[in-house]
Amino acid sequence: MTGMKGHAVAMPDGARVLIADDDPDIRDLVEFKLTQSGYAVEAVADGLAAWESFQAERPALVILDVMMPGLSGIDVLRKIRDSEHGAVPVLLLSAKSRDSDVDTGFAVGADDYVIKPFSPRELLHRVNGMLARAR
Amino acid sequence: MTTRQLLLGIELLVLLACLVLALSVIWSKVTRLRRERRTAQSLAPVRGALIELAAGEPGGLRILRSARGKTADAIDEAAVALLAKVRGEPANQLVTVLEDHGALERAKAEVSHRSPVRRARAVQLLGLARVEDSTALISEALEDEASEVRASAAYAASYLADPWLAAPLLRSVGTGEGIPAGLAADALLEMGVEIAPVLRAAMRNPAPRTRMVAAHVAGVGTFVQALPELRELIAADPDVTVRVEAAEALGSIGQDSEVELLARHTRPDQPTDLRRACAEAMGRIGSPLAHDDLVHLLDADDPRLAEMAAESLVAIGPRGMATLDGRRDEPAAGTALVLAALRAGQR
Repeated sequence: MTGMKGHAVAMPDGARVLIADDDPDIRDLVEFKLTQSGYAVEAVADGLAAWESFQAERPALVILDVMMPGLSGIDVLRKIRDSEHGAVPVLLLSAKSRDSDVDTGFAVGADDYVIKPFSPRELLHRVNGMLARAR
Repeated sequence: MTTRQLLLGIELLVLLACLVLALSVIWSKVTRLRRERRTAQSLAPVRGALIELAAGEPGGLRILRSARGKTADAIDEAAVALLAKVRGEPANQLVTVLEDHGALERAKAEVSHRSPVRRARAVQLLGLARVEDSTALISEALEDEASEVRASAAYAASYLADPWLAAPLLRSVGTGEGIPAGLAADALLEMGVEIAPVLRAAMRNPAPRTRMVAAHVAGVGTFVQALPELRELIAADPDVTVRVEAAEALGSIGQDSEVELLARHTRPDQPTDLRRACAEAMGRIGSPLAHDDLVHLLDADDPRLAEMAAESLVAIGPRGMATLDGRRDEPAAGTALVLAALRAGQR
């Protein structure tokens, strides 16, 4: 993906993205959108699997649903931030839309917070931007 | 018949009733699972195209639009679920699929179906699909006899975000087993500034829940036009919950001029919840004018009220902090100072 002159956005280059969401529709459509744009996507259905995958795969970016069985997205985010690779960009994708929910997400260390229903195109732009800034 | 035989007979009857109940639960679960499996099977050949459409790639749109029969039904069910998850152009494309399958027209007809479940589903779909000419139907549904239909209509109103629905929504929240207050408030907040006159009128509605929701929305949505009504509610509403909500709203949108009113309602002759809400609201306004009244509350009999006053003293700035510092050995002041230090450390 190339941006306009002076606003270049990095190419995905197969960068690994981990998406954790207990909703198969969300997992599948985010996986499709990002894969189509050149990312290598690992999709998991709960927080524990997300944490295990994060430790094993060391993705370049993590997308977490907030409300998941077992470990919540907030729990996983806390563990990520406390880990050796805690600087990885993390985007929270949640139906929880109150200001206090968003405040909590950022307070725990999220780099971005996208509220469902969301625009897949906008999500892709945010992922591109977060990775470009992280490089 | 002996007593023992009678007891045995009753036991057998209870056992039989339990068995029938267990069987009916199992039957309904099996039926639901079988239905879900059939729907998944019908959807399987086109689910990829549907997910792609929801992701913003309309390559399979023609196949989805031309589907008929069970496949179309399965697509419609999945598309409705996806409408709650995506917005923008993908959502518009999903709506065109539903239109082509006649699902939206059917939903309009089913708003008056005898089954409340069908009515609730129909109303939900009209909202999710943002069918603009369905506002009158949603308004009627807000007065439906079934609470699930009213709740579904409130949900639909939040999607339509049509200010015209504000009045029926506020009426509905106050009647009988009203729709959940949070759901109504969220829907009203989506409707924008145009609802200000309706909110102000709702604060004089006879139903306490209507007044409470209107006050809450006025605060969260920063409806400063409603300040006169909020003042009236704090001072004279017969329902303490409404007064508390009005105090919280005033704390969110009020300025220095509200401090005197709030302070008056922290006095011992006022209900405990209202005193606490007003003490907190003074801190949220953050005016130094509240200093003396808050200091007075540090000696309140209610320890929670004293704590809240101390926290509000922190919020009003250096003068409040200096006062707390001089009384740091008191529990309320000490706790507030520790919390303030922790918050400062986090920043």
